[in-house]
Amino acid sequence: MNKNGFEPLILGFACNWCTYAGADLAGTSRIQYPPNIRVIRVMCSGRVDPTFILRAFSRGVDGVLIGGCHPGDCHYIEGNYKARRRMELLRRMLGDFGIEPERLRLEWVSASEGARFAEVVADFTKTIKELGPLKSDATIAVGQQH
Amino acid sequence: MAQKAKLALYWAASCGGCEIAVVRLYAKILDVAEFFDIVFWPCIMDFKYKDVEALPDKSIDLCLFNGAIRNSEQEYMAHLLREKSKVLVAFGACAHTGGIPGLGNVANRETIFQRVYDETPSTVNADGVRPQLSYQVPEGWLTLPEFYDTVRTLAQVVPVEYFVPGCPPVKEQVEAVIQAVVEGNLPAPGSVVGASDKTVCDDCTRIKEDKRIRSIYRPWEVIPDSTRCLLEQGIICAGPATRGGCGGPCPSVNMPCRGCYGPPPNVVDQGGKLLSAVASIIDTQDPAEFGRVADAIPDLLGTCYLFGLPSSLLFRVRQEREALPAKQAVEQSKAV
Amino acid sequence: MPDTRIGVFVCHCGRNIGGYVDVPQVVEYAKNLPDVAHAEHNLYTCSEEGISSIKRKIQENDLNRVLVASCTPRTHEPLFRSACQEAGLNKYLFEFVNIRDQCSWVHMNLPKEATEKAKALIRMGVAKARLLEPLEEIEIEVTPSCLVIGAGAAGMTAALNLANQGFDVHLVEKRAELGGLLRGLHKLFTGNQDAGEFIVPLINHVRDHEHITTHLSTKVKEVKGFIGNFDVTLDHGQKESAVSVGTIIVAVGADEFKPAGQYGYGETPGVLTQLELEERMKEGTLRAKNVVMINCVGARVPERPYCSRFCCVTAIKNAVLIKENDPEANVWILHRDLMAYGVEFEDYYRKAMQLGVRFVRYSLDSLPEVIMDGEVEGVRVRHQLMGKQVELPSDMVVLTTPLVPREENAEISKMLKVPLSSEGFFLEAHLKLRPVEFATDGIFICGSARWPVEVSEAVFQAYASAAKAAMPMRRGYVCPEAITSFVNEEFCGGCGICAVLCPYSAMLMEAKNGKRVAHSIEALCKGCGTCGAACPSGAIAMNHFTDKQILAQIDALAEA
Repeated sequence: MNKNGFEPLILGFACNWCTYAGADLAGTSRIQYPPNIRVIRVMCSGRVDPTFILRAFSRGVDGVLIGGCHPGDCHYIEGNYKARRRMELLRRMLGDFGIEPERLRLEWVSASEGARFAEVVADFTKTIKELGPLKSDATIAVGQQH
Repeated sequence: MAQKAKLALYWAASCGGCEIAVVRLYAKILDVAEFFDIVFWPCIMDFKYKDVEALPDKSIDLCLFNGAIRNSEQEYMAHLLREKSKVLVAFGACAHTGGIPGLGNVANRETIFQRVYDETPSTVNADGVRPQLSYQVPEGWLTLPEFYDTVRTLAQVVPVEYFVPGCPPVKEQVEAVIQAVVEGNLPAPGSVVGASDKTVCDDCTRIKEDKRIRSIYRPWEVIPDSTRCLLEQGIICAGPATRGGCGGPCPSVNMPCRGCYGPPPNVVDQGGKLLSAVASIIDTQDPAEFGRVADAIPDLLGTCYLFGLPSSLLFRVRQEREALPAKQAVEQSKAV
Repeated sequence: MPDTRIGVFVCHCGRNIGGYVDVPQVVEYAKNLPDVAHAEHNLYTCSEEGISSIKRKIQENDLNRVLVASCTPRTHEPLFRSACQEAGLNKYLFEFVNIRDQCSWVHMNLPKEATEKAKALIRMGVAKARLLEPLEEIEIEVTPSCLVIGAGAAGMTAALNLANQGFDVHLVEKRAELGGLLRGLHKLFTGNQDAGEFIVPLINHVRDHEHITTHLSTKVKEVKGFIGNFDVTLDHGQKESAVSVGTIIVAVGADEFKPAGQYGYGETPGVLTQLELEERMKEGTLRAKNVVMINCVGARVPERPYCSRFCCVTAIKNAVLIKENDPEANVWILHRDLMAYGVEFEDYYRKAMQLGVRFVRYSLDSLPEVIMDGEVEGVRVRHQLMGKQVELPSDMVVLTTPLVPREENAEISKMLKVPLSSEGFFLEAHLKLRPVEFATDGIFICGSARWPVEVSEAVFQAYASAAKAAMPMRRGYVCPEAITSFVNEEFCGGCGICAVLCPYSAMLMEAKNGKRVAHSIEALCKGCGTCGAACPSGAIAMNHFTDKQILAQIDALAEA
């Protein structure tokens, strides 16, 4: 349930060769999507250390979306496979932490998939809106300022 | 005769192992007694809190504080000893990163009390009695410390000069730390002492060849080859993600490192790195196969944060706030 | 420790950003961020004026970090990095923030939110910029030879061009002869030049050239390496061989779509495609008197929405040839719009009409029908302009079909790590700014492999990709981006996890002072970061994408 106009804060990681290019294509095609996401560019989805995602959640980011190349198409051959494995294990552990695993999503978006990028962002934003904020008065705090 | 330096030791939420670690100095404890005046060590002798309260500020030269902070008494003592000590050392894994008591952060006061006072098989508690913060008896009021929802490390409560990791810190490192203090040879405040800057892999003498694994085993499931790296044999060993300097005693007896020396110097979240490393070396591209291998890890959170949950990025498990039971709320308002 | 002084340059990009994001407000916000010593906005930061301003302000304001917030680093990072370099700043002290392609252009109806997002992105960029370090690039030698995949018009032209410049070329062709689609053509429009006259000299030059090694009936099996140093395995059927090249040009062309199941194609010999028609014309076995051509078969339809660009002119060409050969013959072209652009094609179309070729427009919701009785008898079509059904007597139906991507494109794309477009053709780095190369350095694309083209376009593109391929080969070296991994040996415990993860074998485990530590080989490291993400000791730093920098970006994001 969208809790009274809650606007989530969403962090995105986009790999330079596929997802970031796809996101740019959405832009050149003027395909509109919700403005909640802020993307950090990395060279490969394999660069994404689970530490980054833990840091994001500990600071109150409501959802994290990682975009990489389709299996078999990774510019660095296998980085996306490693990303997939890490995110699978991380998602399990997030569940242990009482953080809905749906708050972490890994999607494959290629350089030619501008429309798909916009679609994925819109869908993920909707999912996070329905989940509600990660931090609220109703929960005992997760994460803290270090 | 010159005045001896003053030494204090205190135990918060801990097991007593760090006290034993100090006693394990064996004959060298006599050198400690020669250099220091022990002004406070409640485990060993009948010191009282008011003895500490009576001391001038910063009069304790060295305080070795072990244990995590999980109730109001421990928090009070952390603040008190901070006030009275020149050098406050978080001694042992519990004070450093939260230790085993830190696993309490998967729960909160209400769920813990429910378990302890209602659900445990041999408990009979039809009236749902709970510990009270204060309780009146004919002789007056009895008080108990407040049990917090969340366990914290020492440094999350008061500023700390040094950290000595380990569960407990190994004998050689305790000696080294005491020596460094005696010689006045300590690094910049905020440092970890009594440990190396590398990981346990550096201490471990097992042969490392190829880190790729196709299965994960619990330590009791297999008898590992005592010469080869345990992680390479599919047993999750936290050594690669754990600060070294302990000498690798656990791997040397066929037990995987469990991470008690805390994160390496450059690592922000020990559990996150261990998770990343394990996920990376499971050698399959097939998600279903990966899932099967990962299913062999029964408690991912516990495996990754066995000693460091309060010092991790997420710090504790996210839970709904429970309303306190009405009875306890009323009694609390009568607290002295 | 000198102060960090960051210069922030926010671009309006005309109205592309400025029309949606409140750029002046964003600049004011940037000015107040810690360590920002200067902030300004430009109409076009990439213009001469904008670049000069960056260089001037670096000097005047003693800036030691520069951030540009504008379009996308994928096209403009090199430009701004050069500007910094020219002003005396190491090029890696520059950070790019995308507030157009990923902000103003995608939130056009939400100016307030777009402005807030631009501020957040700049705050994140500044957080990273604060922690940027200068980096030095190394030089890697480039092998002065090129692998050209495909020996059609594009492939042969590119191969000859490079060979004439003195570079060695390995020209690989999966068929037993050179020529590609050109082999099947009869005449070339618009001058009706015999295709053979065009192609035979080309083939001869290629065969005779001392710098070209032709590999017929050969496929590319495996490609390893990177620009300057590709190791290629060729599959000749019975055996394999290995070649080392510095650059690769993809010129694999495309296939003519065979519309099985449509309009009777495959059911009777009287229904053929344009290429099959040309074959008949070449053989001299064309007997038809009433030819009806149907354009846009399998093109500009829901399952294949693109236009193949030159098939209309191909139909016109063949219609003209039929009429010139036999003025008594009837030729109709049924079309859904005619793509006869430019001066020459427009004239050609007029010529066809003058010769008596008749053009009938039909629409997608009322397709022509071929009337058959074993043989083709006629074509029924709803004449859109006349507004009624007409029946055209016919003894041959020619279907004008598009070029479609070759089936092996998927395999080649995986082999070379280059992307395909959503239609399945190869996707260039940028349609306008980098049209004949891939984003991957050292690999180029020309001809119909990229998008259906006619012969002259294939030749243009071949010249262009050959020119681009020649650049690194001529210079003799490349400087790969210095975004490589670095091992802090004081923290490395020698676990070896990095070494098993690296797909380029760039991480080696070494013995140093009796201790096992990892060592990163700079020339092999591509900077993907998978080792750094896994390294459990935190010993590996990924230059320019360090943990500290990324964590700072995340903290800045969350500082909402």
